[in-house]
Amino acid sequence: MDHQIYILVIEDELEVMDALVKDLEEFEQKFPVESANNAEEAEQVVQGIANSGDEVGLILCDHVLPGKNGVDFLISMESNQLFTDSRKVLVTGQAGLEDTIEAINKAHLDHYIAKPWKKEGFQKVVVDQLTSFVIKKGYNPLEFMSVLNSIRLAEALRGSQLTDH
Amino acid sequence: MERGFLNNRETILSFIKRAISESEELQTMVVPFSRGDILFKQGDSLKYLYLLLKGSVGLNRRNEDGYSLDLLKLEPGHFVGIMAFSTGKDSLTTGKALEDSEALKISQTELETYLNDHPRLRHPLQQLMMSNMADRFMKNLQLESKMHQLNEKLEEEGEQLKEAYKQLEESHQKLVHQEKMATLGELVAGFAHEVNNPASALLRSSESLITNFEKLSDNDSLSGMFTIGLKSAPMSSVDIRERMISAQKRFPWVSERSLIRKIAQMPDSAHVLIESTRKKVPIEKMVQQFEAGKFIHNIQVASERIANLVKSLKSYSRQDNNEAELIDVRNGINDTILVLSNRLKYLDVHLELLDIPKTKGHLGELNQVWTNIIVNACDVLPNGGMLVIKTKAEGEHKIIIEISDNGPGIPEELIDRIFEPNFTTKNQGAKFGLGLGLAISNEIVRQHGGFIRASNKKEGGAKFEIILPVKLT
Repeated sequence: MDHQIYILVIEDELEVMDALVKDLEEFEQKFPVESANNAEEAEQVVQGIANSGDEVGLILCDHVLPGKNGVDFLISMESNQLFTDSRKVLVTGQAGLEDTIEAINKAHLDHYIAKPWKKEGFQKVVVDQLTSFVIKKGYNPLEFMSVLNSIRLAEALRGSQLTDH
Repeated sequence: MERGFLNNRETILSFIKRAISESEELQTMVVPFSRGDILFKQGDSLKYLYLLLKGSVGLNRRNEDGYSLDLLKLEPGHFVGIMAFSTGKDSLTTGKALEDSEALKISQTELETYLNDHPRLRHPLQQLMMSNMADRFMKNLQLESKMHQLNEKLEEEGEQLKEAYKQLEESHQKLVHQEKMATLGELVAGFAHEVNNPASALLRSSESLITNFEKLSDNDSLSGMFTIGLKSAPMSSVDIRERMISAQKRFPWVSERSLIRKIAQMPDSAHVLIESTRKKVPIEKMVQQFEAGKFIHNIQVASERIANLVKSLKSYSRQDNNEAELIDVRNGINDTILVLSNRLKYLDVHLELLDIPKTKGHLGELNQVWTNIIVNACDVLPNGGMLVIKTKAEGEHKIIIEISDNGPGIPEELIDRIFEPNFTTKNQGAKFGLGLGLAISNEIVRQHGGFIRASNKKEGGAKFEIILPVKLT
């Protein structure tokens, strides 16, 4: 890889952020983690990532945030072509039905994690989403075998070899 | 007899009776009726006109809805069937003898003849008819004015009924609200109890964990890292990002990003400790010790927060046992803000809670007032804004609570109506189950002897002022 694929976490409660980042630690050798405490900060962070020629592979976003809420942030990410492919996940205990529907329809929400989360389920979602991202982008699956879903990556590898012929 | 003057009915009747007694022809026309006999039925077309000589006849009308109404009682000297007879239309009523009676039965075709053939009868009969008509007309007038009175009375009663209904509606709403609050109170009390247990277990366990950890570390620098971690509050992501850069400079041999992030969150004392033990203790172990302390710190902060939230929720929805207590309104405001903190996240909340005297009142009820107003402010500021809550004393006898926002304000045409029951500009389905309207807030404040005033600020936004008297007894 000639550039980095970031995981971005947006959460305003610092203790909760600590816990989220802790559960993402294992991915960090391949996917550096960036964090932001609100949507405005997150917008600066993703801009910084894009400016250095890197990508955001996965956005994990709380909904109830000070200022702009999580769903609105995800919608703005979806409409920015730099981040349309970024996988988008809501991690929240408080998004109501309407907000969630909006997130699905307008931000193409990929997954919804309800708080409190469990480490195992949480990490499985992260693996699945990042695997989808890597496959969609057509990156060399071999590079990610160690941290992501190796079965899906292997299938993707076979598929791409088949189409190469 | 002078013209233009109506003799009274009896006089004319006795004259006619005399005429009858003197004429055999007329005597043949006198017919007797027994009590209950029907002279004619409603809807009949009448061929005869009766002049009642003795007894009485009742006129009864059955309305379309089947309701039967006694209209008139006719006495000697009255014509029976005169209306139908003179208009030629079907009878509007049924005539029935109320007692054994006698009447002069005159056929329609014969009437003109009688009047011509018996000039003696002509004038008295005409007079009697006039008098009958006049009687009916008078009666009609009386009925008209009575009906008018009745209508007025009905209208008045209707108004009273409306007022009573409105009051009923209000008290119904209040009861429902009280019921809701009571249910909420019970729920919260049960919930608080249930949550307090795990929360205190969390707190206690984390304390035990601290002791265990301290004993486990056989190395001073390791236990030192743990203690530092224990005292470290989490950092904002902006600070972490900045400090990661300087941490990378300070520890250039550390390549793992997650390790750098953790080091970045440590205070300087930890950095010094890491540097001094670099040769003896692996840095990963030092960082782990710090992290252990930090996470236990987080557990403690979080479980204390749970305990505080539960406490606020409990006092927020406190069931006042009808007795007013000496309260500091500011405590209620603080509880309310904590309970609503989730919704207030989007707003800048400015508190200026100046010293105010305690007053006798119901904290839990007043909290609903703050809740209603604050939730309304949240609703009109979905994208954030400013909420200002002030308290101040005016002299020793008055407390003023002012809650204002910088939202769109209250439309001027609605400002007088917002405290009316059922008034709402939003869809039903109150958020938090509490936004039950300003009418109830108004009522609660009124019961505390105070009043609410709503206005728009010059610079924009709505302002609610609650003025409460200081009551010590």
